[in-house]
Amino acid sequence: MRASEMTKLILLLSIVTMASLPPMAFSLDGDSESGERIYLKRCVGCHGVDGDGLGPGSERLIPPPRDFTSGMFKIMSTAFDGYIPQDQDIYEMIRIGMPGTAMPGWEDILSEQNMWDLVAYIKIFPGFDEEQAGPAVEYGEPIPSSAESIEKGRELFLQDDRCSECHGKDGKGDAIKRLLGDNGERTWPRNLTKPWTFRHSNDQKDIFTRISVGIPGTQMPSFADPGSKKMLSVEDRWHVANYVKSLAKTVRVVNAENTVIKSLRVEGSVPAEVDDEIWEQAIPSSFFLVPQIIVKDRHFTPSNDTVTVRSVFSADEIAILLEWDDRTKSLPGDEDAQKIADPEVLHQDMVSIQLPITVPEGMEKPYFVKGDTENPVNLWQWASGTTTEPQSTSLVKAAGFGTETELATDSLKASGAYESGTWRVVFRRSLSTESSDDLQIQEGIFIPIAFSAWDGSNGESGTKNTLTTWYWITLESESTALPFIGALIALFLVIGLEMLWLRNGAGRRNPST
Amino acid sequence: MNKIPKLLQLILVVGGIYCAFVLVFDVILQQVIPNSLLNMYMFFIAAGVLAVYTFTEEGTEELLAPIKALVENPDKVRTRNIVFVLTPLVVAAYIYSQLLPSIEAPVELRSIHPAPPSSVKIYGKRYDLKTLENPYRVLETEDPEKFRELVSTGADIYIQNCHFCHGDKLDGQGPYAAGLNPVPLNFQDVGTIAQLQESFLFWRIATGGPGLPDEAAPWISSMPIWQDFLSEDEIWQVILYLYDYTGRRPRSWEE
Ligand code: HEC
Ligand code: HEC
Ligand code: HEC
Repeated sequence: MRASEMTKLILLLSIVTMASLPPMAFSLDGDSESGERIYLKRCVGCHGVDGDGLGPGSERLIPPPRDFTSGMFKIMSTAFDGYIPQDQDIYEMIRIGMPGTAMPGWEDILSEQNMWDLVAYIKIFPGFDEEQAGPAVEYGEPIPSSAESIEKGRELFLQDDRCSECHGKDGKGDAIKRLLGDNGERTWPRNLTKPWTFRHSNDQKDIFTRISVGIPGTQMPSFADPGSKKMLSVEDRWHVANYVKSLAKTVRVVNAENTVIKSLRVEGSVPAEVDDEIWEQAIPSSFFLVPQIIVKDRHFTPSNDTVTVRSVFSADEIAILLEWDDRTKSLPGDEDAQKIADPEVLHQDMVSIQLPITVPEGMEKPYFVKGDTENPVNLWQWASGTTTEPQSTSLVKAAGFGTETELATDSLKASGAYESGTWRVVFRRSLSTESSDDLQIQEGIFIPIAFSAWDGSNGESGTKNTLTTWYWITLESESTALPFIGALIALFLVIGLEMLWLRNGAGRRNPST
Repeated sequence: MNKIPKLLQLILVVGGIYCAFVLVFDVILQQVIPNSLLNMYMFFIAAGVLAVYTFTEEGTEELLAPIKALVENPDKVRTRNIVFVLTPLVVAAYIYSQLLPSIEAPVELRSIHPAPPSSVKIYGKRYDLKTLENPYRVLETEDPEKFRELVSTGADIYIQNCHFCHGDKLDGQGPYAAGLNPVPLNFQDVGTIAQLQESFLFWRIATGGPGLPDEAAPWISSMPIWQDFLSEDEIWQVILYLYDYTGRRPRSWEE
């Protein structure tokens, strides 16, 4: 009797313990001593010897490295009132890293065991080695994505400005407010159209988790908090997750293989405005913008990350459309713009196209940062203007940093427009000009081209900007009959040879005739 | 070998080499060879193989036998007709595709590790790269504690200046690496610092991309000129760190 009661109890107990285990459950026991050794070799540069996030590299990083002693972890799947992440959460961040930050994934050089050792060690800083994480988020029944679910999600996203308050109405994270993290560092609401910048991933389930838990240490709140007026039911959170996932903009993803901008021939004149229908036909090419950390003064905390380029040309003009996400329309003199600027000095937003003055014959190009003395470059520059000054366009000649001189021009024109987190600027110029300081543009050749951008609300001006390396632009040459004629000639030539050979061969077969 | 007709052998050899090229470069090394270059290589290889096969008169005859038979053997009329119709079409199609305007970016070949100059001017002084050595290397055996300290200063310099491009794992995958061409070099790779002397690194770090000779296309390298930012000592220390973290040894003069 007593024995069978014991078995029942044990059975019951084990069911309870099994049920309370985190759902992803697979984990290895970490050895914190081994973890410490690895930590001291590989992590102290950023996270600091004491785990306080004050390593020597920390000053030049936004977001700053995590301060483990604070016990705050951004990516967590513990239900909203818990503050201790699941071990698996910490493990995943070490394994795959945090895209869009300096935190790399370590799975390519550390073994699974070593990464669990690190988890065990890191948990000691906030004292989490002695506490138990609370239960994980409830997922309920996932709702598969469908047009209906996405539409529902969109409504919830916009309802009472629930998400759009920070992420903007199109989800581009165009800041309306100045957001600070818990340690006073600047944070930006994520641009939801760029899934590759998500700290974790834009997997439907991961988005669901972020919406449920929020992102601790930042202003991204939990929407499972029963105390919040904007709380969402489990079902609604799946709809919103499906909507967020649907925002990913695939045409503007950078494709490393694509290094050539193809300018499309158009009849009539080239478009002067950014919203001309013709741009729909031009092929977009996207490139990464890299902060200027090459010459003095360097810029370590960029905010612009990519630029998308399209081009068309007519018999006498070329137009180039640049499009880039910039969270802030920087308008010096404007109070609202001033409020979200960081640091307090507000500059104009700017963009420029860099072209060589003479198209290189061989391999040699101008130095990719503003040319060099032997190979000067042209810069086509546009600035967004202030409350008192309109937008401006200028043509600059440069032969290295600090040598920029403005040239007079009446053939270069530009105009830009800002809409929900995106600048679009169209440049126009005649293909040929009178000036020997101008690039003369011809069809059918490859012309090196590079770009720079400045976000004036992010303290960017002068050498503090983001830039690309050299890419190419080419104006498609008029289709000619040459390939066709060539093919025809080849065809008849080969047939002729065959005939000749046949006659000879036949002759040899019947020598008597 | 004798069972396979010579002509087929020839086609197999040339085709095999082509496939091997594509396999090794495109698939294994992920370093696609530009078409124009591949065409040139294949031309020389085909010409070479042909020369071997037609070295003797019998060789030539054997090689051409199946082609001759095609024309002269009445039993093969049908095959002949097919071949004779297809050949001109294939040739015409090839010529057509070659004459279409190209949209492939021009090829840029650069030497990754060019020969260093024998002496260079850095910090306003002349350095003879043939005899230059890392002044701190000796501490590795003479004063290991001091050596560890210098490696750790090197680590700080690295994380403040270099990881943005070369990556905090020194694998060339820093947060901005994807936007640069040429890509920042991967120090974990056996083909970089393990093959080089410390004086070579000193020259490369101090003078950066613009310090390269023309064959290495200095105009596109984003490697900064570090003599503008770091002291001579700091450069030597960061070099100690590069070797220490990756567990590689610098190449020494004896080798
Ligand atoms: C180059 C600097 C750098 C190095 C080296 C680095 N980290 Fe990080 N790490 C960061 C930054 C920056 C963040 C914060 C990113 C954010 O807030 O979005 C971070 C965040 C983290 C987080 C927090 C994840 C979360 O959910 O909040 C963990 C855990 C972590 N790092 C572990 C490690 C470990 C373990 C190592 C060594 C193997 C390491 N890091 C090395 C820069 C670094
Ligand atoms: C009060 C401002 C605020 C509101 C409201 C808000 N967010 Fe956020 N959100 C943020 C911030 C700030 C971040 C970036 C945090 C960081 O620095 O890592 C963020 C990040 C995110 C991310 C990125 C997760 C990742 O893996 O990187 C997603 C997805 C997201 N938010 C979705 C939503 C959705 C959906 C809503 C509405 C249900 C919402 N947010 C409401 C401020 C907000
Ligand atoms: C802006 C990006 C960038 C930064 C920052 C940077 N590098 Fe580089 N580095 C490169 C690129 C790109 C290359 C490859 C092209 C070349 O050889 O110039 C390179 C090449 C090198 C090489 C040549 C290696 C070889 O095998 O020939 C060394 C050594 C080097 N870097 C060391 C450093 C050190 C040390 C730092 C920090 C003090 C640093 N780099 C910072 C981009 C960078």
